[in-house]
Amino acid sequence: MAYIEFQNVKKEYQMGEVTIKALDNTSFEIEKGELVVIVGPSGAGKTTCLNILGGMDSVTSGKVFVDGKEVNKLKNKELIKYRREDIGFVFQFYNLVQNLTAIENVELASQICKDSLNPETIMKKVGLKERMKNFPSQLSGGEQQRVAIARAIAKNPKLLLCDEPTGALDYKTGKQILKLLQETCRKENMTVIIITHNTAIAPMADKVIHFKNGKAQEITINEHPISIDEIEW
Amino acid sequence: MVESPLVPKGNVPNGTLGVKMKKALLKDSLKEIKNTYRRFISILLMAFLGVGFFAGIRATAPDMVDTVDKYFDNKNVYDMKLLSTLGLTEDDIIALKQIDGIEGVYGEYSEDILLNFEDTELVTKVLSLDEVNQVSIIEGRMPENSKECLVEKSFCTQTGKTLGDIVTIEETEDSIIKEKEVVIVGTMNSPLYASRERDTSKLGSGRVSYNMYLPKESFDSEVYTEVYLTLEKAKEYQTDSTEYKEVVEQVKEKIEGIKEERQEARYQEIKIEAEEELNKAKTELEEEKQKAESEIQEKENEITQGQKSLQNAQATLNANQKQAKEQFTLAQTQIQEAKEQVLKQEQDLPNLENKAQQEIEKLNAQKEQLQPNLTALKQSISSSEEQLSQVKQELQKENLNPEEKQVLEAQKTQIENSLTMIKGQKETLDATLQTIENAILKIQTELQQGKEALKQGKVQIQNQEEELQKSQQNANSEFQKAQAEINNSKTQLEEGKTALASAKEEYQEKMEQAEKEIEDAEEEIQKIEKPTWYILDRSANTGYNSFIQDTQSVENLGKVFPIVFFVIATLISLTSMTRMVEEQRVQIGTMKALGYNKVQIAGKYLLYAALACIIGGSIGMLVGFILLPKIIWMMYSMMYVMPDISIHFNWHYAILGLGLASICIIGATLYTALSTLNQTPSELMRPKAPKPGKRVLLEKIPFIWKHLSFTRKVTVRNIFRYKKRFLMTIIGIAGCTALILAGFGIKDAISAILPNQYEKVYHYQMQISLKSGITNTELENLMKSLQEKQGIKKIVETQMTSGTLVNKGKEQDVQMIIPKEENLQEVIHLADSKTKETVNLQNNKIAITEKVAELINVQKGDTIILKDADEKQHEVQISNIVENYIYHYVYMPKELYEKLYEPYSTNVLLVEHTLNNNQAEDALSKELLEKEEVSAISLNSSIQNMMNDMMSSLNYVVIVLIVSAGLLAFVVLYNLSNVNISERIRELATIKVLGFYDKEVYQYITRETVILTAIGIVLGLIGGYFLNYFIMGTCEINVLRFSKEIRPISYLYAVIITIIFTTIVNIVTYFSLKKIDMIESLKSIE
Repeated sequence: MAYIEFQNVKKEYQMGEVTIKALDNTSFEIEKGELVVIVGPSGAGKTTCLNILGGMDSVTSGKVFVDGKEVNKLKNKELIKYRREDIGFVFQFYNLVQNLTAIENVELASQICKDSLNPETIMKKVGLKERMKNFPSQLSGGEQQRVAIARAIAKNPKLLLCDEPTGALDYKTGKQILKLLQETCRKENMTVIIITHNTAIAPMADKVIHFKNGKAQEITINEHPISIDEIEW
Repeated sequence: MVESPLVPKGNVPNGTLGVKMKKALLKDSLKEIKNTYRRFISILLMAFLGVGFFAGIRATAPDMVDTVDKYFDNKNVYDMKLLSTLGLTEDDIIALKQIDGIEGVYGEYSEDILLNFEDTELVTKVLSLDEVNQVSIIEGRMPENSKECLVEKSFCTQTGKTLGDIVTIEETEDSIIKEKEVVIVGTMNSPLYASRERDTSKLGSGRVSYNMYLPKESFDSEVYTEVYLTLEKAKEYQTDSTEYKEVVEQVKEKIEGIKEERQEARYQEIKIEAEEELNKAKTELEEEKQKAESEIQEKENEITQGQKSLQNAQATLNANQKQAKEQFTLAQTQIQEAKEQVLKQEQDLPNLENKAQQEIEKLNAQKEQLQPNLTALKQSISSSEEQLSQVKQELQKENLNPEEKQVLEAQKTQIENSLTMIKGQKETLDATLQTIENAILKIQTELQQGKEALKQGKVQIQNQEEELQKSQQNANSEFQKAQAEINNSKTQLEEGKTALASAKEEYQEKMEQAEKEIEDAEEEIQKIEKPTWYILDRSANTGYNSFIQDTQSVENLGKVFPIVFFVIATLISLTSMTRMVEEQRVQIGTMKALGYNKVQIAGKYLLYAALACIIGGSIGMLVGFILLPKIIWMMYSMMYVMPDISIHFNWHYAILGLGLASICIIGATLYTALSTLNQTPSELMRPKAPKPGKRVLLEKIPFIWKHLSFTRKVTVRNIFRYKKRFLMTIIGIAGCTALILAGFGIKDAISAILPNQYEKVYHYQMQISLKSGITNTELENLMKSLQEKQGIKKIVETQMTSGTLVNKGKEQDVQMIIPKEENLQEVIHLADSKTKETVNLQNNKIAITEKVAELINVQKGDTIILKDADEKQHEVQISNIVENYIYHYVYMPKELYEKLYEPYSTNVLLVEHTLNNNQAEDALSKELLEKEEVSAISLNSSIQNMMNDMMSSLNYVVIVLIVSAGLLAFVVLYNLSNVNISERIRELATIKVLGFYDKEVYQYITRETVILTAIGIVLGLIGGYFLNYFIMGTCEINVLRFSKEIRPISYLYAVIITIIFTTIVNIVTYFSLKKIDMIESLKSIE
């Protein structure tokens, strides 16, 4: 059994009289320590997929396994526990708590986990040691996203989920962020899943999942993923 | 819709489009309402509470005034009242009738009397029935003749009398009531006595217990006790309104104009009357004087005459005595002479006897000599007679011849002749003998007679002597008697003289006295003070006045309470609408970019707010106008006898309330909308830069900051981040706590009155009123018998009377208590109102109670005027202001009382007993009531019960306050938490994604609320303390001193209830937090 398994997952939303199929019988597998990039156009079901993996949304049918845990069967409280201990989430808009300094935002996550990492070390790792006492509003977008990543990995999660982490960033900064994620994956042997509509970054991944019309249409495995530095778009 | 002057008109799309747009706008607004109904309802509720409270409380006072106005108009209650110290006359009435602006002039009578019932003595005020101040009949009917009366219902209850029963009015001097017995035909309420308070009186305990009404013809008096006036136009205006007061003032001035003249006229009238009386008295005195003097003269004459006749009598007596003495001496001499004569005769007697014996012997010898002649003669006679008888016998023989016969005859004749001749001889002899014998007899007799005479003479002398002695004795006793009589008369005369002297003296004294009296009377006439007219208006009526004062308290209350609600309503709308506008920032930007002008865009929000405001406000108005006056009336109706409150839709306050609410709510909306709309569309379409995080002051104190857990740090920073919310929450919570605390504070204040008064101040439990005119011995006996009673601990003798304190035009009726001895402290604890230290009465000074000092604004050491029931005024100094909670008292030392008024007399006993149950107390009072000397008994326990009933109505206030406080707290908190959540939904979604448990999310957000609530509660307790102080100050009833202290438990209640309300809101928050969709965290920032 793979580390993460998506088995015939269906997700339907009822919007008034219309039923929208966000995920339509999707299946894929991800191995531990893999860097996965999920690509596809808007409305292909990427985010839904991520939400389900992150324990934020439920499935209509099908099964989801993460490290042998059947996520789709978890009860609310177990789901929270799952999010708390197993998942790190990086948002497109960073979602930092404005009222907390950079390091406090990291602490916000680390304090709720059992085997959390030291926030200061993490901050060092993401290269923000000097700016950790700054408030989000005093940081640039890239710096903010670094804080967000630091917050996500401080929990020492099994799975790092990133939803368009560079969506709000310029090219250079975006690259830096992706590099940070790649390094994290390699160095910490963390499973990282990145959602993006930018197919150009696909070569950096171990596995690329192409979403279209609610389905993982194509799964390609890069035997030799290349460093983000070498990718240009 | 109002067009903002800020908007350039050119931006408005063409007309038809504009209408469509507006329709679309309306649709949009309504949809918005549907989508955000919670926000809409919270604004609506604020408008409801704000307008409801404002309009309701504000309308109550006018409703109350209107109620009394209608009541008084219906009952034709006076607008002005005239009193005069010497009464008012028919002339006065005529003069008053001529004044312009006066509609009706009614001369009325009233008198306070004492009515005696089995065991009580009630001071009753008897008033005359008339067209003015009409009473309302409760039962029975109006009196139809002078012997029928109306009484108060409670009078019947107390005395046990019912309709048809007779009340006896005891005759007293100077009473103006004609009837001695009147029948109760009905019970009534009088508009003049709308409150439970009755007038003061000079009788009994100084206060009227009940009123009684009699027809005018039951009174008999030259002058009216009071004159009531009704004014033209006065009924058109509401009582106590400026217009009304103006009408009264105008007439008052006119009356002031004739006042002097009328006073003078009355003065002259009285003076002339008095002078006439004086003159009459003088004349009478003169007559009496003359009569008395002539009487004295007469008496003197009598005495002189008596003296004269007494002298005469003495002289006569003396003369008589002298004469008698002479006569007695003469008689004595005569007797002596007679005695001597008799003695001589006695000595002569033997000689005489001898001589007589000799005579007799001579005569006897002569007789002896004659005896033989007599014998011879006798023999011759017998022989001759024999011859004659023989002859006769012969003669009688028939056969005798005439010769014989002749011879015989001749013989016979011869014998007969010889016989005659012898017989003759014999007779001569006999005669001689007889003569001799007679002579003898004569001698013997004479002798005997002589002896006899002698004897008799002796006896006679003796008798005479005895007689003399007797008459002498008689005379003497007669004389003595006469002398005694004379002496007696003398003493009598002497006595008469003394009597006359003292009579004279008495007369002199009486004369002097009478003259002095006349002098006094003259002086008194000089001293007759000019009568003073008192021109009073309705405010002189205690019931009316305190009612108007109460309406003012309500008005004051209406000035403050709604402000709290309006301020909060404004803040709430401000936050809600700000949030709403912010949420729709992009939409606004888009619309602006599309070419809508500011007015059209803002219109949606204004319409939204206006709808909430108008709907909420209108409902609030209706509820407020009906409910609040009713509730407030419910409390006051316990204290006043009045018809039910007339409720109005008060346009004035309706518009004002709604206007204020609109200004607050719509204004707040306009402000937020415009401040957003002033930004350019591009600015609006970009996400609003999130509020930057800031370090708080607390972080600079590492000692505290380091010790806070991480989440607490977050909380602290959050609290300071959202200052508006911070302020709102605190104000909301503080307002809630303050209202609840004030509510409980009122309850405390009211429920503390009785224990304060009856446990802290009064230590006595029973007040025994004594019958008027009780003597000292009766009192002593009563005291003795009381002291012997079981369970009686202390008895203090006091005199209670009523008076009025005056200071700078402010007047207040008070009860005066004058203790007989210096032991008042034993039953009434006199303590300084501020320091609570025990104080004593000081010589020549009075102590007054706290509330009255406050009402007439006097301090310790001030001098004020004390007026008695006769309007006599004295200046007295205040030595102390003492603690007291019910009614007003003046404590006066006995010596001061006697200096100012008449001699002291006990009329009330204050009794402290140790009986600890009601039955024992009832039994004791029943027993005491049977005593002749006791007129009434009042038990503090029953007063307490009665007042408890009355005060329980005030619980409604507390409930109203708590409910409104709760509503307020709920609306504020609910709204704020909604705003809070919606504002921070992204943050909350994020931490949910981070894996915060529901509880942790809840704590993350509510810890702030808890801290703010705590701060709010603390501030609320402080605010509540002052709010309570304010409410107590404005609502305080004149005769009660509310304790402004709030019990600790009430603080606790306020805290607990606030916490309960907060918790309810927090529970609601918990569920809305749970519902937050984490997907929100992924959305782009709008």
